[in-house]
Formats: sequence, C-alpha cells, structure tokens
Amino acid sequence: MKLPLEIRALGGAVLAALLSLGSAWMAAIPIKTMPTFSAVSTFTSSAGVSSEIVISPELAEQGHQFYDMSCSHCHGDDAHGDEGPDLHNLSISNARIAATIKKGIKGEMPTFAKKYDARQISALVAYLRSLR
Amino acid sequence: MLIDPALWPKLHGASTHFPMALAMAAALFDGLGFVWPKSSPHKAQLHAAGYCTIILGALGTFPAVLSGLFMTRGEVLGHDALLLHHLFVWPSFAGLVGLGVWRALVNDQASPRSFAIYLVVLFLTAGLMAGAGYWGGELLLNS
Repeated sequence: MKLPLEIRALGGAVLAALLSLGSAWMAAIPIKTMPTFSAVSTFTSSAGVSSEIVISPELAEQGHQFYDMSCSHCHGDDAHGDEGPDLHNLSISNARIAATIKKGIKGEMPTFAKKYDARQISALVAYLRSLR
Repeated sequence: MLIDPALWPKLHGASTHFPMALAMAAALFDGLGFVWPKSSPHKAQLHAAGYCTIILGALGTFPAVLSGLFMTRGEVLGHDALLLHHLFVWPSFAGLVGLGVWRALVNDQASPRSFAIYLVVLFLTAGLMAGAGYWGGELLLNS
C-alpha cells in the first residue's frame, strides 16, 4: 500500500527538521572551543587567573569584548549594573572575581567555565579592574 | 582562524530578519490563497508566492542560526533573555525547515485538509519566530 504524498512528505519534513536541529546543536560543540576570536589569538601571556594579572590596556580591551558578549545584558553596557550589580571599583581580589566568573553564583549568575578559558577570564578581570 | 567578534552580531542581525519576514509573508500569502475564490487567477499566484517565500525562509534560517551560534560562542540555551530567545528559536527553526521541506515535496498537490493543517502549523511557526525576534530585540535593547 502506497502512502499518500502528504504523509510521505511529512516524514521527510520531520526528518529534515530533526536533522537541522541536531546539526545546529552539534555545530555548537566545536564552536564553543574554536579559537575564533582575534582577541584570543593575540594573547602573549600564558599565565592563569591569579591576583598577579598585569593590567594592560590591550588585555582590558580584550576583556571588554568578552564583557560585551556575555556580561553586558545583565550588568549593563557600561557595567554600572542592571539586573546584575555595578562592577565598578570592586573590592574583592582578582582571583575572587575570576572564581565568580568561572563558577557563577547559584540562582543569580551562570557559570562561564565552559565558555571562557583561564586566559580569557584574566582578560575579563583586567577589564573589570580598568573600570573606575 | 581569526574572526572579528564584532562581525557576528552584525551578521546575525542582518541574516535573522529574512527568515522571520519570509515566514510571515508565507503565512499571509498562503492564508489569503486558501480563502481566495477558486475562480480567481490570484489564488494560484498567492500559493506560488507562498511556496517561494516558505522555501526561501527555510533556507534563510541556516545563516541566521549559524551566525547566532558564533555570536554566542556556541550557546544553545543560555539564561534570562537569551534563554527565552532560544526557547522560541529552536522550535521555530525546526518548524520552518520542516514546513519548507513539506511544501517543496507536496507543492500544489496537497488536499484542502492537509493544506489547512499546514497553514495552522505555519501560523504557529510564524508566531514562534516573532517571539524569537522579540526576545532577540530585548537582548539587544536591554544590554
């Protein structure tokens, strides 16, 4: 028995939709780890996140780019706070800032451990330290 | 591979409006074509316009989704407004691709009942796309 064209087309449509969705989600995995950002490629420091981050304008500028992508919609475009708090003149250590970015705050702020590596978090810390 | 991070938000903004507009146009053309009198030559023309727009809309979802994935560095859900954006994006993406494929395969050979079901799903998908666009705009305006 041959199925009507509409039913066969429906099978094709469902298959195509699932394949598209699966492909997009699979594509997200390498994109997460891809060094696509020019900011990353110009890093010269291999230091991890510590309180000894050298705050250079270049590093802060790299961090600014990451901030715009991941933080500004909660902390505000100018980091003066929105849903999240004002990030100017933070009174905690660089290591504490980095740990908060990395681990997040339960129920308040997501973790960025998978999104940013130690060097990128250092850049974010450098940017936050540059805010006065 | 060096890609300027500022490029992706621009590309996403540029590419994402095409599938949204085309899905809504397809719903409009096919909706009108469905209720238009059979005797009128405009009925076939409206369905032809609906056919083209849904297929172009389905194709247009791929650059929109890919640029969005690059822009968010592979974030498929996220949190807050981004999460809401994605909760509308993924079903509308799958829906639009499915509708485009169904329409391409069936073309004008669908029974009125099948086409009515297609229209309902098309309107729902266009609504989901509007929701994705709304939350995308919220991300942009409230950031």
